[in-house]
Amino acid sequence: MKRNIGLVLFFVVVFSLAFAVDPIKIGAVNPLGDITGNQSTKAMRLAVKEINDAGGVLGRPLELIVIDSELNPAKGAAAIERLATVEKVDFFVGGMASGVHLAQVPILKKYQKITVWAGAASHQVELAMGPDADWYFHLHPWDYQQGEGYGIGWREIVQAYPNVDIKKVFLAYEEGAFGTDSYTAYLDLYELAKKGEGPWQGIMDEFEGASFKSAALGGGDYRAMLNQAMAFDPDLFVWAGYDADAIPIVAQAKEVNFTPDLLVGAPPGWPADFGKNPLAENVILYGMWAPTLNDVSPVAKHFYDAYVEMWNEEPATYFAPLGYTNIYFLVEGIKKAGTMDKEAIISALRTIEYESPLGEVLKIEPSRIIPNQGFKYQKILQWQNGRQEVIWPLDLATAKLAYPFTFGK
Amino acid sequence: MKKILTPLIAIIAIGLLMFLPFYTGAYFLHVVMTILIYMTLSLSWDMMLRTGQLSFGVAGFFGVGAYVSIVSFANFGINPLFSIFLAGGFMAVIAWALGFVVLKLRGIYFAITTLALTTVFSVIIRNTPRLTGGASGKVIPNVIFQGDSSKIYWLILTLALSTILISEIFSRTRIHFAINSIRTDEIVAKSTGINIFKYLIIIFIITAAIQGVTGAVYSQQYGFVSPETTFSLDFLLLPMAMALVGGIYSTWGPVIGAIVLGFASEYLKLIMPYGHLIIYGIIIILIILFLPKGIFGSLKNKIQSSK
Repeated sequence: MKRNIGLVLFFVVVFSLAFAVDPIKIGAVNPLGDITGNQSTKAMRLAVKEINDAGGVLGRPLELIVIDSELNPAKGAAAIERLATVEKVDFFVGGMASGVHLAQVPILKKYQKITVWAGAASHQVELAMGPDADWYFHLHPWDYQQGEGYGIGWREIVQAYPNVDIKKVFLAYEEGAFGTDSYTAYLDLYELAKKGEGPWQGIMDEFEGASFKSAALGGGDYRAMLNQAMAFDPDLFVWAGYDADAIPIVAQAKEVNFTPDLLVGAPPGWPADFGKNPLAENVILYGMWAPTLNDVSPVAKHFYDAYVEMWNEEPATYFAPLGYTNIYFLVEGIKKAGTMDKEAIISALRTIEYESPLGEVLKIEPSRIIPNQGFKYQKILQWQNGRQEVIWPLDLATAKLAYPFTFGK
Repeated sequence: MKKILTPLIAIIAIGLLMFLPFYTGAYFLHVVMTILIYMTLSLSWDMMLRTGQLSFGVAGFFGVGAYVSIVSFANFGINPLFSIFLAGGFMAVIAWALGFVVLKLRGIYFAITTLALTTVFSVIIRNTPRLTGGASGKVIPNVIFQGDSSKIYWLILTLALSTILISEIFSRTRIHFAINSIRTDEIVAKSTGINIFKYLIIIFIITAAIQGVTGAVYSQQYGFVSPETTFSLDFLLLPMAMALVGGIYSTWGPVIGAIVLGFASEYLKLIMPYGHLIIYGIIIILIILFLPKGIFGSLKNKIQSSK
């Protein structure tokens, strides 16, 4: 009897091994110590869980292997080497920070695996990647696309709200790469607008910029810049800095009595609970996502609820839905290709239209250099009663624009 | 016996390192390359420290070297390998010129001035966009040796071994006595006829050139420079921590520190994706607290006391 049981167990083990299905391995490199990478990773894990619960892809489960980039270029590059050679992943996904991604580009080019990258907005990444990387899919809008998108957005807003008038634009920018790149992009767009061309035509008759030292880099006194802006008297005031600048800039604007009709902040991330600060009221921001999209997009609502249920926290950055999109987009491509063949998946990814939790459909188009670019524009949002309301795109709007800007009590 | 054993061990170790690309994978090789880069910076920082001067200019010299290499290649078509030598030469000239000013300073004044140099270099680079790409930096179409990991490794290994050799020359020649006496008591050193400025500027030039070359190699390895990443304080703080953990005022202290911290950082990350940096920081603090002479210094003391 004992012998028979042993024999049965032996056959069970042998058959299990023989018919075990290898998982499809996805290697992710994210900065886990930063909220963007942390929440993006959690959203990726959510997407993998949902897909596996639904039976996987091509009859195989997904396995997500995550390595921390530590926001360090050398570490980020080594992580790609490990995923390719030790973990032997089938695909790469990630990640944030252009400085880290630039160091990863030579390694990604070496392996040429299908890569779907969520962040890294600097046009330098596109330049480094070059036009031949047909295996590389970039989801986040490039820096220059964002500037174009805001112009399109404001023009549509001016048309939709007859009382809104934009002629003079002032850009306050932090003196680092992020701010300076924004300024350079605005200058190019202003040159086009002067000729009556480009997305800012008709709404940027005059443009001026001034730099400031970000509080994140040891600065924090914006009064000189704000006085310069006040003397210019802009209709649209935009500051491009970091989350640490958000509250002090608004506070000091109030202190010097600077109230432009439209006050816009364009940091990559906002401080936690900024919306609860009375100074946040009516401040406009640029971003790819807001929790209020739940009111207009069932996919956004599904993502939000599932994320909260799985992680017992709210997604606070758009890198969370972007990370979720990253996995689903790749999986939709594999499903459509019906095979793990690289060329077939590349072709499929180029043609699918994925309805994302960012409220819009993701489809691939060429950008200036690379053939496979995802999202093109960010959204224009506004803090109203502690909520980030979507103002533009108009078809996704969750509230009317509060205009002109006044300081909250 | 010791006379034969030491060179023999050195030859075997160099041989093993030389052939590493043939018996290891790309990932391990990449980790070793990063460790060798930081080891070179750590050792060069320690070489300056041996004179009693605490330099915080490592990231600045590293960054300028990186920029010289990328700009000379991208803007003027200079061969990447030659651009690395050019970076070293450029940094030597800059250090020579700066040396006449900063080497008059001592203690905290020297330290703060060298730290300020990093900011000054970064500001100059940000404000010369036509040459350097300004705040957004510069990328090159192809990394050195077309990204061949083995060749890049040998280049970095050559740099690290050369730095170890220079450090050993400093430790084994009469320069060593001059440096030690300057650090111990500058007035006594001066009264014995040691030309303090001469020795200080020689070390300052050599260490700055090493740091510049290291920056050049690093930038050629990854194919880009940007003020934020190239002048990152990581290139100052991590080499300092490595030297402190391994043991300062020696060649092998920074080498051991770089190996221990380099592998610990990578290993901790793999076994503990979240919170590994906290453990890493705690390890550094504990070693510095309980082994104030560093791993190498403590081992050396123990061996000497057991004899």
